[in-house]
Amino acid sequence: MDTNTATVEQERAAPQGRVNTIDYKMVTFSLAGKDYGVDIMNVKEIAKAGRFTFVPNAAPYLRGVYNLRGDIIPVVDLRVFFHLPAEKKSDEALENMLILRLGEHVFGVVVDNIDKVVGIQSSSIQPPHPIFGDINIKYIHGVVENQNRLYIILDVVRIFAQKEEEKPRILSETPSGSYYAPVTGPISVPLTDSVIEARDEGGGTDLDFIKQTLFALKRFAATPLNEAWVNRRFEEWKKIQKSSDLQLKNIEDADQYLETFYSPYSGNFWGEDFIQAILQTLPDTASRTIQVWNPGCGKGFETFSFACVLRKRYRDAQIKIWANDSDLLAISQAPNMVFQLDDVPEYFREFLVKGRNGYTFNSTIKDSILFEYHDILNSNPFPELDIILARDILSFLPPVDQNRIISDFSEKLKGKGLVILGKNEQIVEEGWTSLGKDPVSAYTRKE
Amino acid sequence: MRVEYINPFVEAAFNILKEVLNTEVRRGELYLKSTTMPVLGVAALVGLAGDVEGRVLFDMSKSTALAVASTMNGEQLTTMDELAKATITELANMITAQAVTKLHDLGFKFDLTPPALFTGDNMEVSDHEVEALIVPMEVPEGRIEINVAIRERA
Repeated sequence: MDTNTATVEQERAAPQGRVNTIDYKMVTFSLAGKDYGVDIMNVKEIAKAGRFTFVPNAAPYLRGVYNLRGDIIPVVDLRVFFHLPAEKKSDEALENMLILRLGEHVFGVVVDNIDKVVGIQSSSIQPPHPIFGDINIKYIHGVVENQNRLYIILDVVRIFAQKEEEKPRILSETPSGSYYAPVTGPISVPLTDSVIEARDEGGGTDLDFIKQTLFALKRFAATPLNEAWVNRRFEEWKKIQKSSDLQLKNIEDADQYLETFYSPYSGNFWGEDFIQAILQTLPDTASRTIQVWNPGCGKGFETFSFACVLRKRYRDAQIKIWANDSDLLAISQAPNMVFQLDDVPEYFREFLVKGRNGYTFNSTIKDSILFEYHDILNSNPFPELDIILARDILSFLPPVDQNRIISDFSEKLKGKGLVILGKNEQIVEEGWTSLGKDPVSAYTRKE
Repeated sequence: MRVEYINPFVEAAFNILKEVLNTEVRRGELYLKSTTMPVLGVAALVGLAGDVEGRVLFDMSKSTALAVASTMNGEQLTTMDELAKATITELANMITAQAVTKLHDLGFKFDLTPPALFTGDNMEVSDHEVEALIVPMEVPEGRIEINVAIRERA
């Protein structure tokens, strides 16, 4: 009797005491008979779920993935994670699951039983002591007593952050051998060599002036990237002009000089010949998703062409293309292009649907492309890419930025990823292997 | 920034400013900006979540903010008091809300956070790995820069 009154009083007193002081709420649950808690701020919801989709080759504590109302989330079995005994349930049985949200990531966590929400005073949390729980001490935020029960508060941020750290570490190790060292100085070296060479032939200064004029008028920067073409073109130019006056006097001259620089089918649908050439450079891949970055996509003809080519080449893969341009006017038209059937080459017609004003690409193609108003010189936050399609864009960036973007390409590309440059552009830096044959200039990183 | 997102913001800013200030609005050239940029003095920030993540910042000088708040309230305000602040906050809310409504009609789902207002001198704003679209709007009260930094959720 005495003890009963004592507990009642204690319980009555406790809520009053807590009203003012609760500043930490945790969701409590049990693992192998012991009580645990996690900060309620990390808990998105709780759910009963089962029949998780098994993911091969994953860590043993990863039960699989689960479809949470359309979002695919990984499900971790905390008992396995901490090497605690877990009751084997039949495949159909539902497990108790906490859905945690940590930053951008949502995880499912399987536990034995979910108890309730307990409010405590954060100052009453004591630091972990190794004798509590069967759990690695670094994952414990603290220990707290509430109504005669001892709760171990797990530091979920740490548990899952630790797993995240592991991943990038592995990734960064793989490319390190072939990692492309950003070139800072060497760019001027080959340039001066060739200039000296050209000067010996007596045409050096003219070529230099032409290079400067091209940059001033057309923002075309002559660098090792396009040097072979610039020199070749200069020889042609001498023949075309015949006269002693080789200089580019105005923008028309500059346009004429650059006429043969541009890749085939720039700003237009790709023709059959170019498609065949591209197909030869595309790798066989077992990957289910193909991520492509297409900077400088202009009005989108190139992007649509490439999307169709990829769709036909990789029938079962999910294709995602990020297409950017810094020309607002051009790119604004891209998502809603309408064509007349006659203007579209045969190859692409199977992907067209008839709309009110003409033909447009079907939703499969459209949904695979994301047109963005974006400047390549700003940060390029793209995921790991399989293919970068950047025809005739690098040449129109200042030399310093050309190098920066090429090293950016190297960083963003998957191990066997492919960079497709313009017809007359070459990566001369170390660490790249040339793949394509004219008119396709394609590169992969050296293994 | 996804092309489809641009117009709703431009249109919403244009419509709302024209309506609440009852005046002519001139839109400047749109452009992209990256890294850190200075804030003019009064900045209202509305966060966006949903299909995208990011924020919209309405940036103006203190005198512009006072003039805009005065016009909207129909009385002369001389200091950035509670009323002036609430007015600018509300303006940011109206524009963003209309843009989000337009985007919703296009099939994009966005949620917005309540606006937060920042005032002070020599402020800067930086966004990690997101470039901002700047929509400059000229009204008789001054220049209002609408700074949209959003990106697709990966």
